Amino acid sequence: MSTVVATREPAELLKNGAIQLMLAINAVIMIYPLFVMVMSSFKTNAEIFSSPFALPAHFSLANAERVWSETNFVRYLANSVGITMAAVTLILLFSTMAAYAIARYQFRLSALVLMFFLSGMTVPLKLAIIPLFIQLDSLGLVDSYAGLVLVYVAMGIPSAVFIMTGFLRTLPRELEESARMDGASEFRIMRSIMLPLARPALVIVAIQNAVPIWNDFFFPLVLITSDNLKTLPQGLTVFIGEFTTDWGVLFTGLTLAALPITLLYIVLSKQFISGITQGAVK
Amino acid sequence: MNIGRRHTTKAFPWRRSLWIASLLTPALVVMVLFVLWPLLSAFRLAFYEFNGLQPTGFIGFENFRKVLFEQPYSGWTWNALKHNIIVFFALMVFENGTAFLLAYALLKALPGHRIHQVIVFLPVVLSAVIVGFLWKLFLHPLFGLVNQTLALVGIGAIPWLGNESTALGSILFANIWHWLGFPTLVLLAGMQRVGKEVIEAARLDGAGDYVLMTRIIWPLIAPSVTIVTILTFIGSFNWFEIPYVMAGLTGSPGGATDVLGLYFYRTAFGSTTTGIQDFGQGSALAVMMFIIVAGVTAIALRYLRRREIEL
Amino acid sequence: MSRRRMGLALAAASFAWGLAAGVAHATDISFWTWRQEDKAAYNELFADFTKANPDIHVKFESFPDENYPTIVSTALAAGKGGDVIHTHAYGWLEQFVKAGYFEPQDLTTVPSLANQPADALVAGTYRADKKVYSLPFASQTLGLFINKDVFAKAGLTPPTTWDEFITVSKALKEKGIYPLANGMGTSWFNEMFVAIFTNPFLGHDFVSDLTSGKTTFKDPRYVAALGKLLELRDYMPPGFEGIDYDTAGQLFISGKAAMLAGGSFDIASYRTQNPAINMDFVAPPMAKAGDVPQVTKFFDGGYAVNAKSANKAAALKLVNWMGTKEFGDKFSALLGNISPIKGVVIKDELLAHVAKLNETAMPHINVVYFRFEKPTGSELLQGDITKMMSGSITPDQLAADLTDGLAKWYKPFQGK
Repeated sequence: MSTVVATREPAELLKNGAIQLMLAINAVIMIYPLFVMVMSSFKTNAEIFSSPFALPAHFSLANAERVWSETNFVRYLANSVGITMAAVTLILLFSTMAAYAIARYQFRLSALVLMFFLSGMTVPLKLAIIPLFIQLDSLGLVDSYAGLVLVYVAMGIPSAVFIMTGFLRTLPRELEESARMDGASEFRIMRSIMLPLARPALVIVAIQNAVPIWNDFFFPLVLITSDNLKTLPQGLTVFIGEFTTDWGVLFTGLTLAALPITLLYIVLSKQFISGITQGAVK
Repeated sequence: MNIGRRHTTKAFPWRRSLWIASLLTPALVVMVLFVLWPLLSAFRLAFYEFNGLQPTGFIGFENFRKVLFEQPYSGWTWNALKHNIIVFFALMVFENGTAFLLAYALLKALPGHRIHQVIVFLPVVLSAVIVGFLWKLFLHPLFGLVNQTLALVGIGAIPWLGNESTALGSILFANIWHWLGFPTLVLLAGMQRVGKEVIEAARLDGAGDYVLMTRIIWPLIAPSVTIVTILTFIGSFNWFEIPYVMAGLTGSPGGATDVLGLYFYRTAFGSTTTGIQDFGQGSALAVMMFIIVAGVTAIALRYLRRREIEL
Repeated sequence: MSRRRMGLALAAASFAWGLAAGVAHATDISFWTWRQEDKAAYNELFADFTKANPDIHVKFESFPDENYPTIVSTALAAGKGGDVIHTHAYGWLEQFVKAGYFEPQDLTTVPSLANQPADALVAGTYRADKKVYSLPFASQTLGLFINKDVFAKAGLTPPTTWDEFITVSKALKEKGIYPLANGMGTSWFNEMFVAIFTNPFLGHDFVSDLTSGKTTFKDPRYVAALGKLLELRDYMPPGFEGIDYDTAGQLFISGKAAMLAGGSFDIASYRTQNPAINMDFVAPPMAKAGDVPQVTKFFDGGYAVNAKSANKAAALKLVNWMGTKEFGDKFSALLGNISPIKGVVIKDELLAHVAKLNETAMPHINVVYFRFEKPTGSELLQGDITKMMSGSITPDQLAADLTDGLAKWYKPFQGK
């Protein structure tokens, strides 16, 4: 179904044709570089330099093998998975708890607490990296998973509280009240009645936080030094430093680094889009 | 909001308070420890002299004076700030301008529009490190895809990232490629909220595309435009990853791509060749960046809220 | 039955022994470096060390060059970091020593310091207390790589003077070969590039005038030498502004370019990447025939002991061993670096030739004298040189920026 009434006039057809052309050109600009990246990952250096546009002569996995055997790639990948999952879980837990308190109960400082969380949304935490570093250092958390995860949790909480509060406020009051009449505890009401209803919002919040955390480079750059603890984007820069002149291996590294999130995005594109644009789209 | 106190909990006010407090505590503790306290400290540290990582003495506004008025630091600061401002306006025109056109094209909902939405948003989910490095390879003067393509039509090797006049533009291009999908879909969502009925009614009244755009769609998506503008502003002044990957820590060539994010990092954590770091001057830069970002955002949000009420 | 029981007993015994052995070799120390590419060589060297000191195991940990200073300073500030830390020399080192992060070394804790020549020790000495904090590991020489096969094929002879360099370059360019592989895409190397080509025009007199406060970088000799760099632009690859040092190396070893301004530290890696390469390392073009050939030499850095190390004794033992002839011989052979240790024999012909060039070498002025405070000569020069090469500022302006910037902390330049 089209939003605009489709008229069959020639002018309209021409205009639609122009629009389709523009979209097609844009699609090529978006996709072609990624296509070249994937194709180049099967090529040798000589092939990349001499015939950049051709398909690879053989779909050789030699580059992938080198990435597998000569780098810490798998370790970086595992670290990123672990750190992202831990941070997102804690963000969901802490901010849902806080949002539930703000949305479902009336208490004196409620507005103030919400304001406090909301003001955190505009704070670019990168700029506080110096004291943050000193702070984590005094807690012994520099160069550890825990330090990095806590920073991400702190960054994610404000907007998560904002979204969850907005959502929880829309839930009908009747369910809660009838449960309360039946003598259910506050915890049980939250756990078994309200939260299951909040699942769609939780998915959005999870994706909204998972993508930037997964892709983050700045905080690991400052906070993580041990090779064993490095995340994927950070590890990628190490890897780029080691293989600067071997473009086949470089393209393979880039392809492999892009692969997990791209696959996930293709499957869940709708949730990704609404998760990431959440906050900008009301 | 009119949530009355429930009789069950009214009987045990302390229990209710405890329950609410325990719900709020974890989030508040994390926020205080890792957002509020560091942020307040950042302001304090900017007034101290440092030796290595230890503050050695209170020196008033000395760090600010240095980064703002003393050469060569002041030259570097203004150079970086200038680039942040250029980046903001360039992104507004080229990224958000293109996004607006794409959003309008997608609004027509012609066949294939869904797949186009998915495609334009694909680079957004990738890490800036991947995007920056991919384009760095493509922009290589001799072997890069871009110059190899240009060579087919007889254009010689252009040092995109090595030339002062093209370096910032090239990095901006990579950034636009990375983020284009975001403003596109935000604006599209704004346009879709305008509603089919309104547009159809206007069409029946004989409104053409131009009138439809200027009189109906544009005013109604103003809030989306403001949000995109604010986010672009914040993004421009926090710009770090892509220039770091593509132009290095010094904003090569010769500072032509230096931005406040890089300059701050370099000052605070030591430049590559020396390892000399200055947390004092670094904090002063951070405070200034914070004031710029928070100040402009606050003003813009107020303006936005007022206009929303008017509409 | 009894056989089985014996087997069990044996297994238990060996298990217990394994546990005991695990406890015995208690000391694991780590070595931090930015030399990611030297991993295999260092691991071989450390294996030798462990053979002699079975109770100490050394773990090699490397970091990207660009982040290395940051990582080291943040780790040291947190009381962490490797037990032995690979440091750069001069101002780089001083920053850390000033903050008290490194352990001083003397002849009682590190007897092998006696094997170091005086000029090398300067590179690891803190100016304020005259103590050594980092045991020098290599001198690096900057000069001109020559691809002999490319020259032979083109029927040309490698140049020795500037005029010859220009003539030869023109001829090479006509034959479709890039005369000089270098570009300006790698900041840290740009500083080396400047040193390589300007030093033969500056000479030792300029250095002593500069360090004694008689002159500054505004000196006409320095400005004229910078002007020479502009002539090189015609002989660098197209788009040279964006060509990084790694790409330049590739152009050189693949024979697409005939010459490369580079460092002796890359000899080994170029050989590994192209074992068939027939290359020479010579002094950069002299100002005029009959001059003394002048490469640029500097001490790269050294091995320092973390003052907060939990295994200081083991760390000092390792550093001491890294100052012995045994280490130096193998180090030079494996890595193609020139060890400063007295009595080290350099077997490789090309490297021996480099060592010979070192006898008349110029210092790397910026690195040796102007990295002690902010702003460093390095950041000032690196910021301006690309602008000069692209023509947006003149050599005069660069010289003035450098002098005025350094005058912030370098007293002899103040008011000049």
